[in-house]
Amino acid sequence: MLRWSELGESFRIAVEALRLNLMRSILTTAGVVVGVVLVVVMGWTIKGLDAVWEQTISIIGRDMLYIDKWNWAGGGNWRNMEARRNITLRQATLLKDRMESAEVVIPLARRWSSTVQYGSKSVSCSVQGTTYEYGSTPAGTTEIGRWYSESEDLQGDRVVVLGYGVAQAVFEDSNPTNAIVKIAGYPFRVIGVVEKRGFIFMDFIDNQVFIPLRTFQGVYGFYDRSFSIAVKAGNERLLEIVRDEAVGHMRDIRNVAPDANADFSVNEMEAFDAQVTTIRSSIWIVGIGLTVLAFIVGSIGIMNIMFVSVAERTKEIGVRKAIGARRSSILTQFLIESALLCMVGAVIALPISQGIVTAARAIAIGPLELEWVSVVSPYIPVDLLAIAIGVSILVGLAAGFLPARRAATLDPVEALRYD
Amino acid sequence: MESDSTAIIQIENIAKVYEMGEEQVHALRDVSLTINGNEYIALMGPSGSGKSTLMNMLGCLDTPSSGSYLFKGENVSEMSDDDLAEIRNREIGFVFQTFNLLPRASALQNVELPLVYSGMSKRDRLDRAADALHRVGLDNRMDHRPNELSGGQRQRVAIARALVTDPAIILADEPTGNLDSRTGQDIMGLFDELWKAGNTIILVTHEEDIARHAHRIVRLRDGKVESDTENAHAPLV
Ligand SMILES: Nc1ncnc2c1ncn2[C@@H]1O[C@H](COP(=O)(O)OP(=O)(O)O)[C@@H](O)[C@H]1O
Ligand SMILES: [Mg+2]
Repeated sequence: MLRWSELGESFRIAVEALRLNLMRSILTTAGVVVGVVLVVVMGWTIKGLDAVWEQTISIIGRDMLYIDKWNWAGGGNWRNMEARRNITLRQATLLKDRMESAEVVIPLARRWSSTVQYGSKSVSCSVQGTTYEYGSTPAGTTEIGRWYSESEDLQGDRVVVLGYGVAQAVFEDSNPTNAIVKIAGYPFRVIGVVEKRGFIFMDFIDNQVFIPLRTFQGVYGFYDRSFSIAVKAGNERLLEIVRDEAVGHMRDIRNVAPDANADFSVNEMEAFDAQVTTIRSSIWIVGIGLTVLAFIVGSIGIMNIMFVSVAERTKEIGVRKAIGARRSSILTQFLIESALLCMVGAVIALPISQGIVTAARAIAIGPLELEWVSVVSPYIPVDLLAIAIGVSILVGLAAGFLPARRAATLDPVEALRYD
Repeated sequence: MESDSTAIIQIENIAKVYEMGEEQVHALRDVSLTINGNEYIALMGPSGSGKSTLMNMLGCLDTPSSGSYLFKGENVSEMSDDDLAEIRNREIGFVFQTFNLLPRASALQNVELPLVYSGMSKRDRLDRAADALHRVGLDNRMDHRPNELSGGQRQRVAIARALVTDPAIILADEPTGNLDSRTGQDIMGLFDELWKAGNTIILVTHEEDIARHAHRIVRLRDGKVESDTENAHAPLV
């Protein structure tokens, strides 16, 4: 049984030993410092990734389904999907009429490569033809100006709402409303700009423009075009009901035999979660690998220095044993010293990690102009810090075990004779 | 000799053999001794005769290769390391030739240390350590570190540390060996006082001047007890 009095003494000795060899202690902990910095910075990166992703999702909406010929997440066989029949505007309109559980159903037509011209500037972007209703979804929220009205939509007016990225590229910070730009050679009046949606994985979203569906038909035509159908459930909890209803109607509309696979895909934001998960896991695997390496190197250093410490204090150990220190007393004394040594490493790692995080964030937002990084916390995550300190204490205990055991099992007579 | 009923230490036919590679060193052969409460004994003998080995044995720092050792009736040979540590802590006070104080601890902290290992509360520890330092005449040196003390003072701190647990015996291995003769006699005066106060004292020495303070002199030669006699010249009670 270990006694409180001994624990206090052990801490006193450990602190004294560290103070006495301050420089040596600090150098010894280098491996642990690197390990802790890695864990904390990696954790911060992943949390940042999650924050950015969450924000993106919240703008596009977790309650959205996109019925499309293609599976966006890249699953399934490309040839099979290529062979699918197009989703026509008529099918989209039928779905819209039949759907009861959804809040809105919106057809979308997309032209991937096009350009917006303004004066001498020309910016490539994709063009999305959709209805006025898109303006009421989170993805159609305008930052400047407005979305097109129902009448503009139905009349097929040449009005355009710019994606944030396009507006920035063409107009920089000046107000683009009422400017006349050229798209596919036709003049369009800019009536609004969509909110920034800062997005690492789908940055094309900021790099598109929206025009009324009918206008799109006039410019690009609907021949051989497959539409997407955006279905907004209105609430994430309704997603399943809405999905089931939409799939049922679509199979019916497209005459899919009851026992055949659907010849369309239902895309959800969740599908993209998989991509984020992949990125997350890659960061983890690399990070954990490096961290483990750093801790292994670190613990070898710590073990080494603890053996030195035991050797240096052989006589002292002998004296302590002579006056009644038991094995467990000596063992604890050195384990505490070793754990404390590692904790010193963790404490040193704290300001370093914060420094790296602060610098990385500043560089990303400043020189790299990655504005979306601003949703990432500027502070290192406290829970990870606690974990890192915990892990480093465990590493300290593990690394200190052999030296501590050597000290504990020293023969007192031999130890006392040592000089 | 007094009766066995008050015996603190009874060793019978103990031997200690060190293995030095192929060679065996017989540090002790067939030693028997009985030591009673409040005895004052000097262990004498030439260098290499086994004094320190016997001392370590008596102090439960080491166990015999053969023979029996009863400490207050309990068989030491069968004890675990931790049991021995407990006995050393409670029953034995060591005083070494080279003092063996912890260099970075104050006199008070050094004296307090055995009580740390017996699990006493901080306040009681400080009380008793201060008391022990008072007994060796170092009331005004409690916060000094060993390097701020003279040799005689260091040995007094070491004696206070040996006293602080109120042990059954005090074992001193050449306690005056690193001191000049004047200081050595002062330290011996202190041992005399402790003996008068009821302590049991065993000291190792090869100096007749020092041994004269004891009341019983055990002489070793080649690991054997050569003689075990009353000291007629002892300064009397
Ligand atoms: N740990 C040891 N290993 C080997 N031989 C030892 C050891 N300790 C003591 N000896 C030997 O045992 C004998 C007695 O030593 P010791 O008890 O130290 O004698 P003294 O204290 O009387 O000088 C000596 O020959 C010494 O070399
Ligand atoms: Mg000796």
